[in-house]
Amino acid sequence: MEEEYEILESTVKDFNSKFVDNNSLKLENESMGPDFIRMLADQGFFSMMGQGSDASGSDLKALSIVLENLSKSAPAAAVKVLLVNAFSTLVNDTGILDSVGKGAKSGTVTFSDLLVPKGQNGSLKLENGRVKGEKEYVLGSDSDFILTLLDTGELILLKSGFSQGKKHKKLGFRSIGFSSINVDSSDYSVVAKDGIAALRKMYEDFTLPISAIAIGMSEGVSQKALDYAKVRTAFGHYLKDFQPLAFDLTSLIAEMNILKRYFHDLLSSPISRKEAMFLKHKSLILAKDMSKTSLQIHGGYGYLEDFGIEKFYRDSMALSVLFHREDSDMEELSSLVFEGKAGFV
Amino acid sequence: MDFELDSETKEAITKAREFAKKYFTEEAAERSDREERFPTEIVALSKKEKILDFSNPWKVLVTIEELVRRDPGLGISVTISAFGAEIFMFFGNDDQKEKYMNPVFAGLKTLGLGVTEPGGGSDVANIKTEAKLDGDSYILNGGKMFISNGQIADYFLVLARTSPPPSPEKKHRGMSVFVVDSKSPGFSVNKLHGKLGVRATNTAELIFNNVRVPKENMVGEEGKGFYYIMTFFNISRIYVAAQGLGIAHGALDRLVEYSKKYGEISDTGELKESIQLAIAEIATRVEATRNLTYKAASYLFKFTPNPIVTSMSKYYAAETAVFSTRRALELMSLHGLTNDLERFFRDAKILDIWEGTTEVEKLIITRMMLKEEGA
Repeated sequence: MEEEYEILESTVKDFNSKFVDNNSLKLENESMGPDFIRMLADQGFFSMMGQGSDASGSDLKALSIVLENLSKSAPAAAVKVLLVNAFSTLVNDTGILDSVGKGAKSGTVTFSDLLVPKGQNGSLKLENGRVKGEKEYVLGSDSDFILTLLDTGELILLKSGFSQGKKHKKLGFRSIGFSSINVDSSDYSVVAKDGIAALRKMYEDFTLPISAIAIGMSEGVSQKALDYAKVRTAFGHYLKDFQPLAFDLTSLIAEMNILKRYFHDLLSSPISRKEAMFLKHKSLILAKDMSKTSLQIHGGYGYLEDFGIEKFYRDSMALSVLFHREDSDMEELSSLVFEGKAGFV
Repeated sequence: MDFELDSETKEAITKAREFAKKYFTEEAAERSDREERFPTEIVALSKKEKILDFSNPWKVLVTIEELVRRDPGLGISVTISAFGAEIFMFFGNDDQKEKYMNPVFAGLKTLGLGVTEPGGGSDVANIKTEAKLDGDSYILNGGKMFISNGQIADYFLVLARTSPPPSPEKKHRGMSVFVVDSKSPGFSVNKLHGKLGVRATNTAELIFNNVRVPKENMVGEEGKGFYYIMTFFNISRIYVAAQGLGIAHGALDRLVEYSKKYGEISDTGELKESIQLAIAEIATRVEATRNLTYKAASYLFKFTPNPIVTSMSKYYAAETAVFSTRRALELMSLHGLTNDLERFFRDAKILDIWEGTTEVEKLIITRMMLKEEGA
């Protein structure tokens, strides 16, 4: 890893130990609160992408390092950072970017426009200069600004005139608003005429950062399992002494380390779409497998939130639904592997 | 070999389905889950409508499956009020059956089983709770963990050590089972909060601080408690398998419904093959789980239990429930994440843990097989 990224990694680890590790349950389940949001902003985590006056230039790799390390303790905080930075890549209003970068305001993007076919996540229409309608499945619906698609395909920035509607169930990242939004607004601007293309570009660019969250979650939850297996006894042995447990966890950790090495290789070379998708595909599966095995190692205690394991079980699944398209991503990846359209029947 | 259920059992399925459809509303299920609230009113209605007919174990089995298929948290809450009662049935005396078992089966009282301890988990032989003879009573001290019905049960069947083990290899000896009234002085309960799933069920930690239990509350013979509990687990694991079957079938229901409404159609005019194959795989696992569970049940209900098949059914049902909910959720994307499937996904994982972890079940299978073969 390049030196600047090593320094960044160390910065996030310090941040975790000071502000996240002892607070991770609240950050997941309740609210991050304005103070914590400001701390994330003060670290520069909200201005790693986009063109705000304080931005040091877009750096997906740096963002990925931050997300990986935040996810070890608080996946919800990492997802918050991801949403804000995804927002910032698409907006070019310096004033808004500055306020979001400083944590004074917040912004999000409706990833759902890419995750389900058109019409399945509501409808926003332009009527006499006003945007009207309802959009479903908005992660970050408690934000001040929302980037979303009109039915006609333009990507618009909603600045006001919207409110949270029906609250959705929250499998993961419970401190982040997740609901529909009701919109009746004249306070908007068009960000891209071909909104789908703009969203797709952002989604592709964020393949590595999303993978980073999955890898960070695997690292965080596996460390908890390793620690627990060394001290907990059953049937006269430490849990680590039992073959099924030790072998299962070791096998997953081997996979994790291979992916991590691959991840760092990708960070230090030009990003290849196919390789980034390889990483995302495998790291999302790993996060789910690792959290399942780690929960199993903790037995009944893993099922209770106090041990900080069950949140990874929920979050890893939520991540793979909220930032991943099960079928169409595999169709795209298969087409890259076969070097021609594949996997569509 | 006849795979058909008799008409009485089929009627039980219909009755359970109608009950669940009427009372397991999404609002009720969501509220119990969100508030970690035991569904007292629904449980009372289930007793009033005699949803569980304990005179016929097949009816109990299919009722569990059907109710859990609609909602795991509510389904398990409704069907767990007699948890442990088989211990009275097989090992209790007439007075105990009359006083404790019959009111539970009649729906008038709720029972709990205190086996697992904070430091023990699956390691039942290593329990620390002690019962010391003092005149015509035993004095219980210790604690139990993850106890279903912990806060709501009227009585508990509690496993406690009554004499030291004869040797480190024979730690399973010297344990006995007692009926403990939840109103006993020195008995206290801490409700466990923040469970991943089955949040409608009531789970608690039990604390025994010099709890005096009359001698006549010992169930069966002194020193045979471990054997009684293991015998019970060979019964209860089949009902846990039915829970797994219900959860997996519930996930399949939701995936099939989704595929009809939202499933992507390919150029051939058919559903895309990845979802077709996933439905087939889950459906096959559900059917395999059902056959294994019913086979284990048929041995048990003829009083010839087969612990190997029982453990196979519990392990496979748990795995199927976890697999099916995960796969369905992956395929249903935001639709699954925002409907009750996400609750099924959280609920399913407990089946890998309670009543013997999946790893313990696998060890039982192999050890019993090798024992049968004289290895």
